[in-house]
Amino acid sequence: MASGHGWFGSGCFCSLGGVGCHRKRKDGGDGEDDISFLLQKAENVGKEWKKMERKKIKTCVAIAGADYCVIAADTRMSTGYSILTRDYSKICKLADKSFMASSGFQADVKALQKVLSSRHLIYQHQHNKQMSCPAMAQLLSNTLYYKRFFPYYAFNVLGGLDSEGKGCVFTYDAVGSYERVGYSAQGSGATLITPFLDNQLKSPSPLLLPAKDAVTPLSEAEAVDLVKTCFSSATERDIYTGDSVEIIILNGKGVRHETEQLRRD
Amino acid sequence: MDRDATADVNAPHSMGTTIIGVTYNGGVILGADSRTSTGLYVANRASDKITQLTDNVYICRSGSAADSQIVSDYVRYFLHQHTIQLGQPATVKVAANLVRLLSYNNKNMLQTGVIVGGWDKYEGGKIYGIPLGGTILEQPFAIGGSGSSYLYGFFDQAWKEGMTKDEAEQLVVKAVSLAIARDGASGGVVRTVTINSEGVTRNFYPGDQLPLWHDEVEAHNSLLDILNASNPEPMST
Amino acid sequence: MLTKKGLKSPGYLKTGTTIVGLIFENGVILGADTRATEGPIVADKNCEKIHYMAPNIYCCGAGTAADTEAVTDNISSQLKLHRYHTGRESRVVTALTLLKSHLFRYQGHVSAALVLGGVDVTGPHLHTIYPHGSTDTLPFATMGSGSLAAMAIFESEYREGLTRDEGVNLVTKAICSGIFNDLGSGSNVDVCVIEKGKKEYLRNHLTPNPRTYISSKGYTFSKKTEVLLTKITPLKELVDVVQVGGDAMEE
Repeated sequence: MASGHGWFGSGCFCSLGGVGCHRKRKDGGDGEDDISFLLQKAENVGKEWKKMERKKIKTCVAIAGADYCVIAADTRMSTGYSILTRDYSKICKLADKSFMASSGFQADVKALQKVLSSRHLIYQHQHNKQMSCPAMAQLLSNTLYYKRFFPYYAFNVLGGLDSEGKGCVFTYDAVGSYERVGYSAQGSGATLITPFLDNQLKSPSPLLLPAKDAVTPLSEAEAVDLVKTCFSSATERDIYTGDSVEIIILNGKGVRHETEQLRRD
Repeated sequence: MDRDATADVNAPHSMGTTIIGVTYNGGVILGADSRTSTGLYVANRASDKITQLTDNVYICRSGSAADSQIVSDYVRYFLHQHTIQLGQPATVKVAANLVRLLSYNNKNMLQTGVIVGGWDKYEGGKIYGIPLGGTILEQPFAIGGSGSSYLYGFFDQAWKEGMTKDEAEQLVVKAVSLAIARDGASGGVVRTVTINSEGVTRNFYPGDQLPLWHDEVEAHNSLLDILNASNPEPMST
Repeated sequence: MLTKKGLKSPGYLKTGTTIVGLIFENGVILGADTRATEGPIVADKNCEKIHYMAPNIYCCGAGTAADTEAVTDNISSQLKLHRYHTGRESRVVTALTLLKSHLFRYQGHVSAALVLGGVDVTGPHLHTIYPHGSTDTLPFATMGSGSLAAMAIFESEYREGLTRDEGVNLVTKAICSGIFNDLGSGSNVDVCVIEKGKKEYLRNHLTPNPRTYISSKGYTFSKKTEVLLTKITPLKELVDVVQVGGDAMEE
């Protein structure tokens, strides 16, 4: 029972993801059979998820600027207290101008990437063009929600350039709730990095009218510098982050790739 | 079942063990392997499970390492007091009954089975088996620990009344090495303790010098030795 | 019992740890990493895990930080009283017996896994003590979540009669193996060398994990919360302030 509760709580952590919690309570009021069935199911899924605690890949960050986008992730993959590899790339190129960085269960992430790339191939055959980043964002959401009751254990950020060439970042929960933001961090280091980004890059309130663009005021070089600081700081205090950070920078000129060494302990 | 090795390190220590006590004409021989494990991890590959209680009484321990150590410590303490009060060495029977008393009175707390063996001038060499609940059994030979299940048949066949010291010691070493070969929780070296009217002799048989049984492979110093050998097939011998 | 019903016990500082010890030519060397964790978070990047027991005895601790700290302090105090009482140097077995009795009494609930080392009148000694109260006596020992990584080094390179420098190097190598391969262990290497009548505590003997990246320009943090609205309403406008006769307190 307890694991069922735990799962619903943690599964829907985004602001828009409250749907799951709400729904469970409603079913609880309807009848004993319903709730025991649901809880049983939730418990099973919870157990599956516990097994997947193994082989986690961690910590990714993306920042959108006016004419660029920076996507970064560390390269450590671990199980429990042991490191499986110090050199695992968790950033995936989905289209010319959209990159996905994922944390969570490696096998699910791989499966998700495979689904997305095959869907993108079909899209190219049908439309003879690359998918735009906002379109890819919607596709990712749909793909995640498709497995609503046995979700992918994957927490993603999608970064790229939109059709106007502006930087865009989309952040997700495991079941497809998503939002366009100016910056985002996911994974085990997110709790450490997010407050720092909040402090350095005050994003405009989504309630302001007229609506402002969710992009950061920094220059590209400043943003890359900020990302490196984020990761070296997170590595100091998060045991699952480390080894090295892979940074991908998208702008009008194309795509650039950087790596920076991190602590290996 | 969690098979994460790091989780095993935090599991309580237990001695999946092979322990043996055998009487012969003139004394007793105690034998044990040397493996202490926590789950899958071998925490100590050279432990000494044959512990001294008095000059002439020893105990073979199995089960929880912590429990069996505390029981032995208490019994040793009581026996020393008893020896001073009595003015002469304690008998094996007294030692075994003290162990039984602790095992029986605290059976809810303790996870340990032991074999007490020794020599005294009244009854000569004696072996007492004291399994989990605090039963006491005076036996001509006793076997215990997880490895003992592989040895009952062997002992029924191989143990003889009135063996010589050497015959008995060879029997003990052979039996422990057989159990080591089949029981994953037993391993390392074979230790023996011989107790008779003359006194006590301790013996040590390194793991790489034990007899090889069915399907066993010769001990190698390292994997590199196998790879560098003319025939790099490890199972070829 | 209650945990089954979903009650979470408070998170403790667990020192996911690598601690080791070995006997060399003329004494004992202890080693430890310096990371303390609380779940996935590093709570202390440079803590001390080699605790003082007596002038000639030190003890490395793994497990719950509070337990290792309390149990070593407590036994250390008992040893000092015992020295005052007897006027003799403490023995390692005395420390060992006191520690194991304490841990056995608490049936493993005091989660302290210890490597105890020292040199006394009977020579150098090294012991490991598990939370349930069992003890081992060994020429080389490792404990904590990094014990497997460290033991791999000891099993392949330890031999009898190491010199002091060889011993320190081997201990450092074993701790580094824990630091780099076990996520629960990290930061620096502490070493303690105990010889007859002499000891050396080498705090931060090796610091293999410096900060990797520091931004050249540094960062600024705004000092105050942004002021959105300023409107002051005096209290007098909201309530009637009645002046009661003075000296109310003096009666």
